[in-house]
Amino acid sequence: MSFVSAAQEAHAYLALFRAGCRRSQRYKLALVSGLLTNLFFGLVRTALFYALYREGADVAVRGLDLADALTYVWMVQAMFGVVWASWIWEFPEAVRSGDFVVELTRPGDPWLRQLAYELGRTLNQLLLRSTLPLLGAAALLPLALPTTPVGVLLVAVSMVLASVVAFEVRFLFGTVAFWSSDYRAVFNIVFPVLWLVSGFVIPIDYFPAALRALAEGSPLYAMLMAPVHVAVGQSVAGSLARQVAWVVALGAASRVALSLACRRLVVHGG
Amino acid sequence: MARALWPGAGLRPFGPGPGLAARAARLRAGAAVYRRLAVATLRGRVRQPAGFVLRTLATGLVVVTEIVGVVLLVERFGTLAGWTAPEVVLLVGLGAAGQGLGLVFGDRLEPAFFSEVVRKGSFDQVLTRPTSPLGWMVASYVEVRFLGRVAVGAGAVAWAAERAGVGWTLPRLLVAAMAVACCATLVFAISVLGGALTLYTIEGSEVVNIFTYGGVSLSCYPMEIYGPGLRAVFLWVVPFALAVYVPALVLLGRAGPPGLPATLVWLTPAATALFAGLAAAGWRAGIRHYVGTGS
Repeated sequence: MSFVSAAQEAHAYLALFRAGCRRSQRYKLALVSGLLTNLFFGLVRTALFYALYREGADVAVRGLDLADALTYVWMVQAMFGVVWASWIWEFPEAVRSGDFVVELTRPGDPWLRQLAYELGRTLNQLLLRSTLPLLGAAALLPLALPTTPVGVLLVAVSMVLASVVAFEVRFLFGTVAFWSSDYRAVFNIVFPVLWLVSGFVIPIDYFPAALRALAEGSPLYAMLMAPVHVAVGQSVAGSLARQVAWVVALGAASRVALSLACRRLVVHGG
Repeated sequence: MARALWPGAGLRPFGPGPGLAARAARLRAGAAVYRRLAVATLRGRVRQPAGFVLRTLATGLVVVTEIVGVVLLVERFGTLAGWTAPEVVLLVGLGAAGQGLGLVFGDRLEPAFFSEVVRKGSFDQVLTRPTSPLGWMVASYVEVRFLGRVAVGAGAVAWAAERAGVGWTLPRLLVAAMAVACCATLVFAISVLGGALTLYTIEGSEVVNIFTYGGVSLSCYPMEIYGPGLRAVFLWVVPFALAVYVPALVLLGRAGPPGLPATLVWLTPAATALFAGLAAAGWRAGIRHYVGTGS
């Protein structure tokens, strides 16, 4: 550690970030099928909200009008692949197989290394898989996206913050593998709740008051609904502030979990 | 469909098929083999009871959250295209029960898993076995955990029927059972087609999920909300609308919108069988095309 300077270390993280970027660029077929899936589910949900708002003609329901709801629909499609990344099992699998031990022997910080690498992969997704459906929908449908450069920049910042929180949530979940080898069963049972509370099923604005308070107070808010609210221009500063707070809090929690896990880590095999 | 499930079907490329008596004997022997394989798989799963119970609950819990979402959403607005929340839940329940049942048999043909089987060369071994490759894949990877989804789906149908004032008569029960069976067959058939596609592309493509998951998820809402394009595809190409929406019209005593009357329910079994036949043909083409993936 002492013979690696801070600059060298930063250089290493940057290299990992670029490697992550390149890695997800390789999978062209996955990108195309991901985009088609986004398009399909986006169309179905668009039809759903058009039908719902036709009933309530031109009124805002719980603060969301049709344009806001459609923006939500396409933001869900934009964020889906970033939040529930297809590589979610890599970390717990590395823990289970014992490959993760190698990570502990490498210079630098294992958590920061993983963050750099995953952000690289995520950023590539954000640039292609998230932006394309969102721009396409914005061109064809009456979305409520910001039109000023600052507004657009804030949405982009919020989406990047959301991907950092999503990485931290995935990381925390992955540390379950240190305690239970059946982490998939644990995830399967937890996932439906995360799915609902984070707002992937319906916008949390439609939730009953108690459930909405729970959803807004949880870190899951920072993964999806915060960028949605920033995009439609509802409590922009508050949403961004919450995201920053959760990035820090979950980052600290991840590091505590990792140090606890390493203390009880037993490596099998020789 | 049945032909592809016969043991040896994949190993009989030349000459006329065996006689009727021989075929019947083969079918019996095959059924015994598949039953044993499936039971062995099930026993393996139950070896870790806690994990098994969690996984089964989890497949049901997904449907519970979907139903919570649909009910909250529709009640915020009053109705969805004239359908009340319980009426929409009836659609969700029929679709979920059918999808769960289809995935019990078809889940492991999904691209992510089956493409790994193919890439590792394990599928070569499957082809050398004296059983049908499809029968072997289905029986040895039967996923009982999806029965959790079937149970929640059936519960949702019962709840919704009560709320929507559907009295259960024998014909209505038969219509509901047929809807679930046809939806399950469609989901399984799509998985088989996805498997066949993987035999061509080797690297699996998640596009298949648009139909296995997307088709059912589209069937969760009344077809009135979709434009003519989506409606036509899911009515006449991948007939999920015939398997879920049209039977629900019959159960609820609704006439259905123009061009999509409840009387189409008579077409449901035939359309499902036709689609299953296409899937079987696709699978056979995939098997014929398959040349192995190297050492």
